[in-house]
Amino acid sequence: MGLSSTDGAQLCVFDLRRGQQEGQELDKILFFHPTDCPILLQLSVIGLCEGIITFTRIFSPEDDCEVIESDRHSHVFYQAETDIWMVLVVEKTKDSESTLRCAALQGILKESHSLFTMFHGPIRSLLDRKPSAELARGHLHTFITDYLSDFTVGKKLQLPTYRDSLKERGTVQMLTVSREVALEVQSLATVLGSCLGNVACQSIVLFEDLLVSTTLSPDDTLNLYTYAILRLTPRALSNANSWSYLRKGVYVNAGSTSSSSNGAATAERPLQREKLSKGKDGFVAAEFATTEVRGAVPLTPILWFQQAEERMYLCVYQHKSLTILLLIPASSLINGEEGIAHVKRHLLENASENIVMVEQKLARGWGGENAYHVGGYRYLLVDPDRKISRASPPGKVTTLSKDSLLALNRLREEMDLEKSRAKRSDPTRDKDFEVCIRAKNNAWVIAKITRGRELYMALEKGGETLLYASTAVEKFSNRYCEGAFSTD
Amino acid sequence: MDPGPNPTPDDKGLAALSLRAPAALPPDFAAVPEIEDEEEEEDDDEGYFTAASRGGSSSTAAWKEEMEGLEEEEEEEDGPPSPSSSGYAGERGSSLASSAAGGAGIEEPDHHDVDAPQPHGPGAEDWARDKKHADEDDASASWRKRKKHFFILSNSGKPIYSRYGDEHKLAGFSATLQAIVSFVENSADHIKFVRAGKHQIVFLVKGPIYLVCISCTEESYEGLRGQLELMYGQMLLILTKSVNRCFEKNPKFDMAPLLGGTDAVFLSLIRAFSWNPATFLHAYTCLPLAQATRRAASAVLQDIADSGVLFALLMCEHKVISLVGAQKATLHPDDILLLANFILSSESFRTSESFSPICLPRYNPMAFLYAYVHFFDENTYLTLLTTRPDAFYDLKDSRARIQDVLLKANVLLEVQRSLHENALRVEDVPVELSSQSTSLPAQSSQGNSQSLSSEMAIGGPAGLWHFIYKSIYLDQYVSSEFASPIRNPKQQKRLYKAYQKFYASMHDKASGPHRTQFRRDEDYVLFCWITQDFELYAAFNPLADKTQAIKICNRVCQWIRDLENEIFVYGESTLAWQYHHCWGDI
Repeated sequence: MGLSSTDGAQLCVFDLRRGQQEGQELDKILFFHPTDCPILLQLSVIGLCEGIITFTRIFSPEDDCEVIESDRHSHVFYQAETDIWMVLVVEKTKDSESTLRCAALQGILKESHSLFTMFHGPIRSLLDRKPSAELARGHLHTFITDYLSDFTVGKKLQLPTYRDSLKERGTVQMLTVSREVALEVQSLATVLGSCLGNVACQSIVLFEDLLVSTTLSPDDTLNLYTYAILRLTPRALSNANSWSYLRKGVYVNAGSTSSSSNGAATAERPLQREKLSKGKDGFVAAEFATTEVRGAVPLTPILWFQQAEERMYLCVYQHKSLTILLLIPASSLINGEEGIAHVKRHLLENASENIVMVEQKLARGWGGENAYHVGGYRYLLVDPDRKISRASPPGKVTTLSKDSLLALNRLREEMDLEKSRAKRSDPTRDKDFEVCIRAKNNAWVIAKITRGRELYMALEKGGETLLYASTAVEKFSNRYCEGAFSTD
Repeated sequence: MDPGPNPTPDDKGLAALSLRAPAALPPDFAAVPEIEDEEEEEDDDEGYFTAASRGGSSSTAAWKEEMEGLEEEEEEEDGPPSPSSSGYAGERGSSLASSAAGGAGIEEPDHHDVDAPQPHGPGAEDWARDKKHADEDDASASWRKRKKHFFILSNSGKPIYSRYGDEHKLAGFSATLQAIVSFVENSADHIKFVRAGKHQIVFLVKGPIYLVCISCTEESYEGLRGQLELMYGQMLLILTKSVNRCFEKNPKFDMAPLLGGTDAVFLSLIRAFSWNPATFLHAYTCLPLAQATRRAASAVLQDIADSGVLFALLMCEHKVISLVGAQKATLHPDDILLLANFILSSESFRTSESFSPICLPRYNPMAFLYAYVHFFDENTYLTLLTTRPDAFYDLKDSRARIQDVLLKANVLLEVQRSLHENALRVEDVPVELSSQSTSLPAQSSQGNSQSLSSEMAIGGPAGLWHFIYKSIYLDQYVSSEFASPIRNPKQQKRLYKAYQKFYASMHDKASGPHRTQFRRDEDYVLFCWITQDFELYAAFNPLADKTQAIKICNRVCQWIRDLENEIFVYGESTLAWQYHHCWGDI
């Protein structure tokens, strides 16, 4: 709760196991954005958060505190690891412009933490390694600062609001391919898998900003996909606008806020955009002057896999709009740089043909940015189990009126609560919901959850009647969702 | 207020009953299918415990252990005092009265047989003044597990009211709440709520008074905040807002003694949150009566109002029979709710005619009015409100005149008859528009019960289970009886909670009010329709067909319009909307 904050938003990470003695509260703080925020204010924010966490545990020992809502601020909580909390504080403006959705903001915290873990491992293990917290603080500082740069517009953080209610953070967007192309992709994945000889390599293939194939689990796919969209795809590298929910606004160099720009630290900044570029050989590499393994991105062994708990090197190859992420188990690569070079060579020799073929076929069938636009509908489809979503292109969503978006945002918030309620009462069973609202501007806003899959929709040119709206949903479901949301 | 009498032998009987193992419960319980899923729903964990702890008022640790063990099962059976609709619930009338008096579910032994008339036993007269679970405090596991806490405290952290536990023992807890609120207030901000899993902590700051609700009932923030507003209103009704001055003079002022003896009033209000739609609709409901009968009552009230009474109200339980205001004075529905709650939860009003200072927070939160209250029978009572502290004998005379007229015109008899007969039943919703009934259903229900789809024959046509219709212009609502699929109090309570959420969703501040909403989940199909004139909330079988449901909603609206002369009060009171719509914060 700011004394006064100029930034409009604050993000902090703190560890409740630290700084338990009076006068040592500062030791709790592992990260605070903005970094120039006065210490007293930082302590005040964290003091309130800790107080509320402790207080809610009196009544709710099992469930974490999620949000403090006040007239002028929202504090959104996420317990990233046991006793390690991330809190995002958002200042509200007087108009409804800052109307937000708690789960969407929580999504940012979750995303930044899982990306962090992918590169640096759990925060707790960094703290264990260096109890002074120097290591954890250093990594968090560079990493989250780089991560937040994607939200920075001017000097302010621009976080998701009600205008983003047809987006779902923490999901992968897929490219739909024909059967014929799917077979090509399949064979490409097989070739990629054998790049290391007898040890299988995992891979992810993207076309533009969409996922084409993956051999990884949904969680790991999501993390790598997110990273690729943020930094590795051709659009990310050229810093062009993306239609993905992941990239907003114009990128602003976050370097100025970074205090530790020495070589060693830089080498461990996988989100530092300006160091990444595509080389002549088609491989994306980081230009760091270090002695570490070259040619992989980033240079140090990375990617702490949640599923496999294995460290991997990441090798990124790009051909036109196609981006290939190849994962090489660190354990199988004894001679570092040389090994990477070998894998690269192998890839170019054996997979080039497939790559060109797949790219050609995908490019031919590619409908462009508005490929998934459905006339008359503004929609978001989410499959939370598979962590996949598809949505109307952002350019189309912006045509919706403010009233429709506000109504949709509120409806999503209600659904978030219903979902978590259903999960608490019986996590093994999906609960179905259907809500159709005719808002005051006569738009229909619709939410439907069927067998765990979610559909959100706004129809501004819908007819007068509820039946019209229902028919529209039915048609959409039959045509674009294989009937997943149809009544029969 | 009466001091709390000692537990009676009957109470001890209740205590024994409530301690039975679940297996020993009557078979009806086991037959209720929802029970297993229900525990989240329940907030009124009063009934058995209160009855029990009062029965054995020296509750021991062993007691508590057993209570904790039984809590879930026990709570499931607990029901609202009047589980019926807005009501026409003649059969529950007497038990409502007794619960209001007992304040805490003393009537519950008949919970498994809600339709059975509940005679006034000695237990009913004995109203709970001794503190509920006074042995609990924030260190007790049982206290922490309560599903819905309400606290009132001062801005210096002094406890004023707590639903559970002894306020004095909660001083430390109260100070924590104060610290949270003040911390945020100090940075020129105001805390609204905190959410952790299914728990929600809602704050309301009213000058030097802080109100807090801690609940895991999954009600909406807006709903809980509205309940805190009513708690504050109830407090003002007893004390007026001039109590703020005491805090100006002495910030450490201890307000709790001023509310001494009013626990039953607050407990009864808290119970109302789970059965009385007036608490979220901000409208009142009327007892259905033939137009001529109501006119007779209104005429005599009007005469009295012309002779210096500010408001004259004739009510039957929570339902208005007639209501008249002097000149342009109008009563806000919330004031009616709080006033009726105050009167019905205080046993002393029933036993003799009373003259008591009260404040109508929406009318004028700063000043006391004086209420002359007289019960004509066990549930029909007259309230005359005046600004004159010396008007008792005048009002007593007025009452005699009114009583005369009411008796001569058979109004009181008609009221009793209406209580037992004039229910709006979903089964009576006319299927064919041509067969519209234009008189009360009790007289014309034959021949209407054919339903649109016979496969949903349980309940009304098209699977209609219940509806609430609110006339925006009149500030009045009417609701149907519950259809058989939601006969038990627990299911009814759950439906009310669903309605509350639905209401909050329709009236969202940023994007609402919406025009229509259709919502289907595993429990219901809910349908809402808001126009300039009315709001309709209807609950159907979860498998109900959309097209049919819409048709039936139209029928219901038409049906209500046909009946409006008998189910709504017209007259001076219809001016109320003007006042209602210019209302701001208290």
